[in-house]
Amino acid sequence: MTMHLKQLTRQAGAMLATCLLAQTALGGVAVAQDRAALMSAHRGGTITLAAVSAAGTVDPMINYTAQFWQIFQMTYDGLVKFKQAGGAEGFEIVPALAEEVPKPTNDGKTYVFKIRKGIKFSNGKEVTPSDVVASFQRIFKIKGPTTGSFYNGIVGADKCIADAASCTLEGGVTGDDAAGTVTINLVAPDAEIFSKLAVPHASIVPADTPLTDAGTTPIPGTGAYMIASYDPNSEMVLKRNPSFKEWSVDAQPDGYADEVVYKFGLTEEAAINAIINGQIDWMFDTPPSDRLPEIGAKYASQVHIDPLAAFWYAPMNTNLAPFDNVKVRQAVNYALDRDALVGLFGGDVLGQPVCQILPPDFPGHVDSCLYTKSPGETWSEPDMEKAQALVDESGTKGQKVTVIAEDNAVARGIGTYIASVLTELGYDASMKAISPNIQFTYIQNTNNNVQISVSQWYQDYPAASNFLNVLLSCSSFNKGSDASINIAGYCNKELDARMKQAMTKALTDQDAANAIWADVDKGFMEQAPIAPLFTPKSVNFTSARLGNYVFNKQNRWIISHSWVK
Amino acid sequence: MFFAVLQRLGQMLFVMIGISALVFLIFFATPGSDPAARLAGRNASPETVEAIRKDFGFDRPLPVQYVIMMNRLFVTQDLTSFVNRGLRIVPAVAQAAPVTLSLVAGAAVLWVVGGILVGVVAALARDTLLDRGLMVLALIGVSMPVYWLGEVMNLVTQSRFHDTILFSWVPSLGYKPLLTDPWGWFKTLLIPWFTLAALYIGIYGRVLRANLVEAYQEDFIRTARAKGLSPARVMVRHALRTSLIPFVTMFGLDFGVLVGGSALLTEVVFGLNGVGRLTYQALLNLDLPMVLGTVMYASFFVVLANALVDVVYVLIDPRVRES
Amino acid sequence: MSISSDIASTEAYVPDVPTLDLEEDAVRGSGAGPWRRAWLLMRRDKPTIIAAVVLILVVLSSLSAPLYAEYVAASDPFRSNLSARITIDGKRVKVMQASTEGLGLGVTPIGPTYGTQYFLGADTQGRDVAARLLYGGRNSLLIATSATAICLVLAAIIGITAGFFGGITDQILSRILDILWAFPVYLLAISLSIVLLSHGIVIGPLEITGDSLLLPIVIIGIIYVPYVARPVRGRVMALKRSEFVLAATGLGIPAWRILVNDILPNVSTMLIVFVPLMMALNIITESSLSFLSIGVQAPDASWGTIIQDGQTLLYTRPAVALAPGIAIALTVLSLNVLGDSIRDALDPRTKLA
Repeated sequence: MTMHLKQLTRQAGAMLATCLLAQTALGGVAVAQDRAALMSAHRGGTITLAAVSAAGTVDPMINYTAQFWQIFQMTYDGLVKFKQAGGAEGFEIVPALAEEVPKPTNDGKTYVFKIRKGIKFSNGKEVTPSDVVASFQRIFKIKGPTTGSFYNGIVGADKCIADAASCTLEGGVTGDDAAGTVTINLVAPDAEIFSKLAVPHASIVPADTPLTDAGTTPIPGTGAYMIASYDPNSEMVLKRNPSFKEWSVDAQPDGYADEVVYKFGLTEEAAINAIINGQIDWMFDTPPSDRLPEIGAKYASQVHIDPLAAFWYAPMNTNLAPFDNVKVRQAVNYALDRDALVGLFGGDVLGQPVCQILPPDFPGHVDSCLYTKSPGETWSEPDMEKAQALVDESGTKGQKVTVIAEDNAVARGIGTYIASVLTELGYDASMKAISPNIQFTYIQNTNNNVQISVSQWYQDYPAASNFLNVLLSCSSFNKGSDASINIAGYCNKELDARMKQAMTKALTDQDAANAIWADVDKGFMEQAPIAPLFTPKSVNFTSARLGNYVFNKQNRWIISHSWVK
Repeated sequence: MFFAVLQRLGQMLFVMIGISALVFLIFFATPGSDPAARLAGRNASPETVEAIRKDFGFDRPLPVQYVIMMNRLFVTQDLTSFVNRGLRIVPAVAQAAPVTLSLVAGAAVLWVVGGILVGVVAALARDTLLDRGLMVLALIGVSMPVYWLGEVMNLVTQSRFHDTILFSWVPSLGYKPLLTDPWGWFKTLLIPWFTLAALYIGIYGRVLRANLVEAYQEDFIRTARAKGLSPARVMVRHALRTSLIPFVTMFGLDFGVLVGGSALLTEVVFGLNGVGRLTYQALLNLDLPMVLGTVMYASFFVVLANALVDVVYVLIDPRVRES
Repeated sequence: MSISSDIASTEAYVPDVPTLDLEEDAVRGSGAGPWRRAWLLMRRDKPTIIAAVVLILVVLSSLSAPLYAEYVAASDPFRSNLSARITIDGKRVKVMQASTEGLGLGVTPIGPTYGTQYFLGADTQGRDVAARLLYGGRNSLLIATSATAICLVLAAIIGITAGFFGGITDQILSRILDILWAFPVYLLAISLSIVLLSHGIVIGPLEITGDSLLLPIVIIGIIYVPYVARPVRGRVMALKRSEFVLAATGLGIPAWRILVNDILPNVSTMLIVFVPLMMALNIITESSLSFLSIGVQAPDASWGTIIQDGQTLLYTRPAVALAPGIAIALTVLSLNVLGDSIRDALDPRTKLA
């Protein structure tokens, strides 16, 4: 099996080419050059980050946000990790606390990891196989959000999910302190197991870590930095881990800055002004749209635009009128002007129209667009006539439709636009914006009778199943539950079976599996339970003094690679 | 007397309990507010959500949950947020309080001084062009939505005229603590102070003018003027003194309500993380523990201000004591 | 009665209770006398006339919104117009203009043309701001008027019931008012909005959906009830103790007749004074809620939602946020002037010069 994902090429708009080239080149140069020399030249100082709000708990096993996963990269390590390098190299799995990525035995069900010697937690204690075993138990004991989706394939996991307190993962994860090894046994082979072990939920923490959500009290880790303090209403301070010695540049590079301060509560406008004035170095949130022309023109060298493995989409509830009719769902897909949607997001430079589920450059992606004026590989323009005809045929004209969007400028704009298109198609449409913190669970619960909504999905790890299987499989649909990520409520037994087939195929032949995924993608789009809108690009606006900006496709900007001196 | 005080305290307690129960009920009546799923995280399995629900006691009867929550809020003070796990409510409110206090106290100074100035000048220049002009200005202050005025102030000071000498000193939005950076504190708050005070200068100026005009018709003022006292003396020693009584009670109430978090629009517009903004965010996130904490805090100030004003009123106006 | 009841505070101006001279006014009872007198007084006051004219103009222009949209702006102000083009000075220009400088980030709507189309420019959806402003005025005025009616009727019922019957009824009603009153107004409004917006209200056969205009009307109508009900209650209690009511009771006149003949007219005079002031307050409250996106829901417009749209364009297209703010200030200003003048006119101490 190939965990070594196909080297992906960065594609970007022609306008961007130069800008991007400069960045990738810089990233490459930095790694290639003598790190020691750079380190002595640029070491020190404080990087200041800002975000409108904090992202909840700092427990790496519970927090499930891109915002803090980025921070966890420099504070925690798993057995394996995504490579801390620029571009698509970031999809590569590298050994972290394990000496190497092991080959599977026992028909792909057993992995034996040799733990590196001499790595210390920030509390000074050395990492042992016992810590690893305790960490895996802890995922279940604190009822981590992905116990049922990522780690349920480990032997003994079902018992742990049923009764967390007595969780031992017996026969699933065992350690041998003398030999320095950890053995993981799976119920069945899993092509994505390393990706699941590489995300922060599988971080290794000291065995004596309390078995409750850490909340605002940081847990010691093995990274180059440690979280020194955290207050969601003011700031998080990261300091160098006193016990840290660089053991793998790929997995856990030593950082340039002595300190990282993450401020919370600044508005986007204030953060932009502060970056321009050099008071902060980077903001997490996307710059507000009316400042984009200004920063794009005046501060072009400080703006970094990178593609993301993500998409914005409009899930349509296939169990509620009018979207229980496939013609209506197809009509919406035909009618949406994806250029206009990209415009609402900030223009062609920041987004790419799509009408399929897997994002460009993603494993399994094959250019295809069924819903455009002349269907083919890419989207060109909306086909209102066809859409209108489909709606006429469905006989659903005049029905009431409410679009549910998050309450922020961009999502509100997109929701309003979709409502406008629905009105044009003959529906009595309105848009409702609800708090971003609630919208995501609100649209999932069938009790709320949401007809159509605006949502986004960002990959957890680079595998087609992370889009198709997570978002549209029958098992992702839970009636009456807030945890029903199949928002469209669409269950297609045949496509479900094909997805299972693809996941099995991936164990032996990734390319063949990808071909199946491409087919499944198309299969779903024919039934159109969702309307893909566009693939967003990440816009990072950094201060003038920030050097060596490296963007990683998996975890975005790698903070420890950048310097401010 | 003792009994009256006791009754008053009982009344205050009743109102506070009523409000907390109201908030609690409103929250649980909200569809989609189930905190278990949000606590469990993105894409959590139903089993995980169920486990979290049990852990946090969301499966227990509402009155039990209410008592537990109030106990954790006031007695053990370890109540934590539903959204930012591990964030304690009491310290969070305590941390936001100085921001709001700074905002409101500064604005209060402005509006008391401004209000008295407007009121006195307008009353002295009664029925002249100056009086009319001041009253029109006061009305304009009263008529502008505070959040809009804030936006316009931001536009002028942060963008359009930020590069001119007039506003180049204006720092970016946000709060700076008084103790670590007093000058920064002053600079960041100056514009919000004026924005919040504009409305109250208008109200207080108008009320004071009306009271002064009325006072000038009272017998004792006429006597004072007939005795040949200087106009300034009449104004300050006699007219203003009586006219300030309603002014003081108004001030007490307004100050209490604003400190409690009612300045939320100003806080939202200027990015100040005060109690008002905290409450607003908590409401939007349906973060019940935080909402309870902040609303109790706010209503405490309302109730307290009410009680204080009543006491002050009794002290300065003997007529009330009779009835 | 606590004196504090007549002053309420939020970041908006809550009107003070009209200070009518109790005995004199009450004795006079109903009849055309005070109204006619008030009318004569107001007719002579210049600011009142100006305010009334401004108000009438605002109402008329709001009512003409559909005409403006169709014949002047020639666009549907509720439909997104993201790929539209218009002709200015013989040139075809896009309504939504992508930046061409530097990296070419961002798309900016067209600014004020001061022509027929896009007089005040476009908003983020490419819609004509001037046309939306007029439509928004309709909603803002409609909500403010209806909420005022609801508020005053409810307050009158509660206030009169509590004041007239006294005893346990008064105790219960007053305590409920106490609770609502100590709940900061905006927080109450926001809590109610958040709860009700998601699923609407269903009371028996009456159903109000989440996107209905009735929702903000009901919410705004309810939140200020305590502020009006308390003074009404106080007034009714005072009237009950007044000599002429005591005398009437002594003469064996039934309670309901005292209520209809003596108390209702007096209370209605008091409520009339509240009307313009409450409307002014409600316009500001509505716009604040809509600004926080928990008032009027898209694609409907109100002055508050337009300011919210404009907030995201504040740096590039300030007109979008400025225009509705000026409209609010102007309307509220005239309502306040009118309110003052009605209060003065109904005050028997004001001399008919």
